[in-house]
Amino acid sequence: MARDLLRVNGLTTRFFTQEGQVNAVEDVSFDVREGEVLGIVGESGSGKSVTARSLVDLIDDPGRITDGSIEYRNAELAEAARDDTPDAVDGDFVDVRQLSPRHRRSLRGPDFASIFQDPASSLNPSLPVGEQIAEAVEVQRRASANPRSTRSRTQSFGLGKFLVGAALPGHGFLSEDSKARAIELLEMVGIPDPAERAEALPHEYSGGMLQRAMIAQALAGEPDVLIADEPTTALDVTIQAQILDLLDELQEETGMTILLITHNLGVIARMCDRVGVMYAGEIVERGTLEDVFDDPIHPYTRGLLGSIPDVESAGGRLQPIEGNVPSLLDHEMEDRCYFADRCPKAMAECLEKPPEFDGPGTEDHRAKCYLADHPYDPEDALPEGYFDRPPEERTLGGEDRSGGRAAEAQVDEVGADD
Amino acid sequence: MTEPLLEVRDLEKYFFERDTYVDRLMGADPVSIKAVDGISFDVYEGETLGLVGESGCGKSTTGETLLGLQEPTGGTVQFDGDDVFSLSRSGRRAFRRNAQVVFQDPFSSLDPRMTVGATVRQPLEVHDVGTRDDRRERVDELLERVGLSADQYDRYPHEFSGGQRQRIGIARALALEPDFLVLDEPTSALDVSVQAQILNLLSDLQDEFDLTYLLISHDLSVIRHICDRVAVMYLGELVEVGPVGEIFESPKHPYTEALLESVPRASTDERDREVETLSGDVPSPRNPPSGCRFRTRCPQVIPPDGLAVDQPEYRQIMDVRERIEAEDVDLDSAWEHVAEGQPSTTLGPIGKYLGGLGDGAEQYREEHADAFVDRLEERLVDVDLSTPHDRRVREAFRELANGDWEAAADVLATEYETVCETVQPVLQPDADHPAACHLYDQPPAEDRASTDASDGVGSIDAADAESANSD
Repeated sequence: MARDLLRVNGLTTRFFTQEGQVNAVEDVSFDVREGEVLGIVGESGSGKSVTARSLVDLIDDPGRITDGSIEYRNAELAEAARDDTPDAVDGDFVDVRQLSPRHRRSLRGPDFASIFQDPASSLNPSLPVGEQIAEAVEVQRRASANPRSTRSRTQSFGLGKFLVGAALPGHGFLSEDSKARAIELLEMVGIPDPAERAEALPHEYSGGMLQRAMIAQALAGEPDVLIADEPTTALDVTIQAQILDLLDELQEETGMTILLITHNLGVIARMCDRVGVMYAGEIVERGTLEDVFDDPIHPYTRGLLGSIPDVESAGGRLQPIEGNVPSLLDHEMEDRCYFADRCPKAMAECLEKPPEFDGPGTEDHRAKCYLADHPYDPEDALPEGYFDRPPEERTLGGEDRSGGRAAEAQVDEVGADD
Repeated sequence: MTEPLLEVRDLEKYFFERDTYVDRLMGADPVSIKAVDGISFDVYEGETLGLVGESGCGKSTTGETLLGLQEPTGGTVQFDGDDVFSLSRSGRRAFRRNAQVVFQDPFSSLDPRMTVGATVRQPLEVHDVGTRDDRRERVDELLERVGLSADQYDRYPHEFSGGQRQRIGIARALALEPDFLVLDEPTSALDVSVQAQILNLLSDLQDEFDLTYLLISHDLSVIRHICDRVAVMYLGELVEVGPVGEIFESPKHPYTEALLESVPRASTDERDREVETLSGDVPSPRNPPSGCRFRTRCPQVIPPDGLAVDQPEYRQIMDVRERIEAEDVDLDSAWEHVAEGQPSTTLGPIGKYLGGLGDGAEQYREEHADAFVDRLEERLVDVDLSTPHDRRVREAFRELANGDWEAAADVLATEYETVCETVQPVLQPDADHPAACHLYDQPPAEDRASTDASDGVGSIDAADAESANSD
């Protein structure tokens, strides 16, 4: 089996906004193996993009990673970091979070590269596409000429250089080699007639071609891990199929590892070896594609799979998940399974946060749900409409029944409320 | 399901660029964008017709135009026997009551400063329905019906989630008890779990109120799930219309096939499913391809009779032709490459050099034509072409070496002209499942000619008129 390349443990990212603390990512753990495609799927607001951005240290104010470790296997980096931050190094693994900022920055490009959802806004509209890719190549080229520790140092960038740069854009920065490499990269991602297209501005590209260009740019540093955050969401299905094919081919060619973030279960099924399902900032279930799609434990995973209409057969009625995606504001979240209020199988014990249990499938299969531990027992079910009531009026039907007459009266009252 | 509730015939909606007063003063010609270019279809009472296509194919414009929200450029729409575009004031009011719309974006389609109650009540007020109390009662009833509660009457849209807002939009559309609803991507802004709720709600409402839907969507699985019939749109035209089962199980048009194949299925077999992806992008609607609009990407272009050529080869040749006809090949950069390959020639920018040479340029071109042709072949041709096709393509490139675009295009056009580019395919009239593709029987040319004379739109567009898919 392939070795772990990345181990994420207890990653927690919070945003401190005026409305309160937002728990965007909470205690997320997963590992990424060398050469695999790991998918993270979830609905909007489930924290999947924030997870991806946390990995590459792209969380901006008011957000902050508050806890957890991101261990990345890289012997060379471990060697370099051993002197500065000995705590961060564990064998070949390095905890990226504990590294000094300049080391962390040096990871972007040759180790981690990202592509984002909206290619049109990720490129500079006033520079030719080829030049922007050549720039990425040039940065990597210069960086690799220097030892890792000096990579992030700005190279004597004074006012003079600034003025020359403003008057003659691109002057003196890009070497011919970088330009040639940029054209090679464009060819690699399937842009027809790359030599000519390299001169074109982003607006002359179509959406699909822009996404290809973005991928070319990400490949400039020959990254170990490509983080693809909704890479096809802005594209039409026929173009989406092209881009997925391309990613597949590139992965085969270069052997890179891909972390694919998407809300589209079809894209996950097409691309991924293993999957994590996110809900309300947590990975509620993870495992191989077969574990999660054919043998889901968590009612949310089941619900998600049940609510997509099938293009192959007309099917009957859809089985939606009732209710809405919860708020992630800390003061509005209760300390329970976050899915309990929408869950058709919520039990009394779900009012306590479930730990991660091993699932029935492969050893990778895990779920944060009591159902993974023992089957559903209707006796323990939460009374109907439990979560519709204000917190102080919530009572458990089961306990009440054993509690005699007083409880009965309470149950009656509940009936009247409904 | 006998009488069509809505009959759309040759509907056209063009948008014009460079059409301002200043542009006209400057003498610029307006450029038309044919968003909807002569489409015809029927929607029968009680059914759901799905209009599916990629972004920019004109499906939303179709919905808006047939409701009269956009001024049509041409064509007619009959609703319940009346021509929508020539209604009297009162007729128009009645039509507006009967035909409503639910928009895509639940965030921008609700007024943020109006309470939910006021939003749903507004159509009742505009059309002066009932007394104040009646209206209030009706709104409460509607809110309950779409799965909200009547206590939410005084809340503002920002207090609701996307799915709930879409429910408000649906309640507003239902307020006047319409017969016909245009659903313009009603779920594409929603998450899948919420999408399923809305789709279920829509089909319940249809059963309950005998509604007729026109569902516009790019999501094929949604279309499959709730539509009775489907119309597939590509670049402003309908390419195929048919019952949902037939479209999904035995699609006729290569575009429909490709579209269906591209959708990733959420199942564990998905990784092993062979998907033949469509090459290229949708062409610009400013200057759509002649004949069949899909021919520039079609994996099944029909070669001329008697020409021995493989499909991949033919596709490649057609792509090269396309580039040459659009004059979309940078010749200067090819010359530059030629010049670089020969260290003895120290040249400045090649264009300037050749321009300054006068007669010398001619000679230079002559001498290095082979290198130039090689370079173009390397750049433009990805498929190994067999003889004699490779020779012919090189011949065309040689014309380009002389800078003669037309001659180059002619070299290829004489040999490789396809029916797909010369004759526009139409939907077969009176068919259950027509497909506008030359792979299927097309109505004879005489029928088309007769429409030419009566209608001045243009020989090919007018043919579409005949092909209305009435059944």
